[in-house]
Amino acid sequence: MQGQADGPRRAAESDSDKGRRGRQGAAGQGRHDFFGEFGGRYVAEVLRSPLDELEIAFDEAISDSAFQRELDGVLRDYVGRPTPLIAADRISDQIGGARIYVKQEGLAATGAHKVNNAVGQALLARRMGKSRIIAETGAGQHGVAVAAVCARLGLACDVYMGELDMRRQKPNVFWMERYGARVLPVAGGSATLKDAVNEALRDWSASFEDTHYLLGSVLGPSPFPDMVREFQAVIGRETQAQCAERGIEPAALLACVGGGSNAIGFFSPYLENEGTRLIGVEAGGRGTDPGEHAARMRGLGRPGIVHGYKSLFLLDEDGQVLPTHSVSAGLDYPGIGPQLAHLGRTGRVEFRRATDQEALEALDYFARTEGLLFALESAHGAAAAPAVAMEYSNDQAIVLNMSGRGDKDLFIGARELDREGWKRFLKEEYESL
Amino acid sequence: MSAIGPAGRASLMAHLVAYYPDRESSFHTALGLVDAGVDFLEIQFPFSDPTADGPAIQEACATALETGFTMAGGFQLVGELAQRTDRPIMLMSYAGPVFARGVARFVSEAAERGVAGLIVPDLPLDPQYNEGLFEAARGAGIEAVPVVVAGAPEERVRLVLEWEARYVYVALRRGTTGDQTTLTPEAVAFLDRIRSAGVYTFAGFGVSSREQVEQLGAHADSVVVGSAFVRTVHARKEYGPAQVRNGVYHLAAELVGGPRGPASRNGRRRRGRSRSGLGRL
Repeated sequence: MQGQADGPRRAAESDSDKGRRGRQGAAGQGRHDFFGEFGGRYVAEVLRSPLDELEIAFDEAISDSAFQRELDGVLRDYVGRPTPLIAADRISDQIGGARIYVKQEGLAATGAHKVNNAVGQALLARRMGKSRIIAETGAGQHGVAVAAVCARLGLACDVYMGELDMRRQKPNVFWMERYGARVLPVAGGSATLKDAVNEALRDWSASFEDTHYLLGSVLGPSPFPDMVREFQAVIGRETQAQCAERGIEPAALLACVGGGSNAIGFFSPYLENEGTRLIGVEAGGRGTDPGEHAARMRGLGRPGIVHGYKSLFLLDEDGQVLPTHSVSAGLDYPGIGPQLAHLGRTGRVEFRRATDQEALEALDYFARTEGLLFALESAHGAAAAPAVAMEYSNDQAIVLNMSGRGDKDLFIGARELDREGWKRFLKEEYESL
Repeated sequence: MSAIGPAGRASLMAHLVAYYPDRESSFHTALGLVDAGVDFLEIQFPFSDPTADGPAIQEACATALETGFTMAGGFQLVGELAQRTDRPIMLMSYAGPVFARGVARFVSEAAERGVAGLIVPDLPLDPQYNEGLFEAARGAGIEAVPVVVAGAPEERVRLVLEWEARYVYVALRRGTTGDQTTLTPEAVAFLDRIRSAGVYTFAGFGVSSREQVEQLGAHADSVVVGSAFVRTVHARKEYGPAQVRNGVYHLAAELVGGPRGPASRNGRRRRGRSRSGLGRL
């Protein structure tokens, strides 16, 4: 523990220490990379040495003030941090209850929180002497962030993406290629995000000498869950500072949860602050049958080991990974980060679900009423905000993380919200080519 | 099981995926391999997300799941095979299905069905990550086989030796199954060192010819051939179980050096192999 010094960096160090100490207390000796029963490093032997190397390099970098200065500089000048915190006054006036504030993380460069982690890991990779970056992407937001950051740092970049996702997220494929990345289609399995992770792990097991695997969420084998959380904790630290400036002590924080990187980054500085409720919102999709949603908490997920870590996953009774569904490709992943699974078990983080329809309605509502365009993923968090706000009085506040902005969802949003107009437009566009 | 393979030459472990391309074909594949003279059968229970496998085995696992593989069905298949052959059966799978079954239950079912050993690459020997697999296997009188990578740091080797593993699986290179690799002088030295500690060594990754079997066999107790058999099954799967069996039979017979002759022939073959062992594997 670094003591109670001022400034975000000191806060980061003490958060990290608290995290580790808490976990050891819960899980005992020799399990430093577990959160309760979840986490760990369940990998084939060939990946052990690159993970050891990465863990050491991360621990060194995070306590090196030169690295921190470099990271802060890129976050400020390229990413555009700090991202603003804004009061959603019109919505608060309409629904009553606690005042709703929105952390506009989607205003970060490339449109989502993903860039925080991409910058952190890419700088780390360069420091480790790696010349090539590989990444997985589902919706494409992580891929776009990684491709852009690699372009800035002069690193070669290959992004694995399921063929199905490439079709669904064509604009992001286009932008990744503009940033100079190669987008490598993955045809195996369900041809979605989980299969892109498999393929990236396969690549890395043959290429780690000159290649860093820039994993995009708080999951996978250790040290990824710790490392990605630390690079995303800037969201929560800024929120704390911005709330303090306004004299707010939030009663609750709300975030959508796919793998969970925006949520844990947002929640992380508040974990020990029991006065603030932490609420994660999962993708309720079209229903609770297998294949119709991507919600792992509240009884739908089973303990399992996939992608090198133990957590709650959507599995059949033989442990085979089930298909998932969400209108938002970024929440469409069968597992949840191990720390969030643990915090769900202990009750520190509450989990709710929002359906596809509820997310689309929330997107529309916040756009019309506040001029805020949520990404479909983040709109799941927004969907839960009114009900949570109404549990409190108007002298209290809740903060909602808009982890991404919605421009990227033009194709899906238009198909769902303005089908006929969109069809006409596409037809005219096609004919004009 | 103390004398595995004809005296004086390396044995061969052939890998197949249970239920690939369907239950019946995989049953006949296994029997074809045994008839051709392979010494071990390594039967993979498919997992939806096999991250240590290359394209051939990945696709085989996906097909096997589509054609109805279940853990219960897999154990049934293995039990039937164990009654048809005295070749040791090694069961390979991933942490996902093993953990879902319950490690203790998985191990006891394997032992009951006559399995000799378990290979679960993402449950390493480290106590915090193996979910009790190694202890449970030993308790059930079978062996969980740890994996080491050729050239691994000394502490990884020591972990295996201190466990007094009966078998060890040496992964000769980086990457996933099915990739080609080269047997470097460093890998040879590593294999010789593990073997000199008295551990029975399996070595593989990318072996598909008799020449490679001979080269690697000079430095390992048993040579593992996986993707080459899976590719053969793939090429013939449209023609039915008999053709699949014939395909793997002929490949296996070629790899073991023709139908198994008397030990003296094998002795000559061994002398002929006493070169550097360098070459593509």
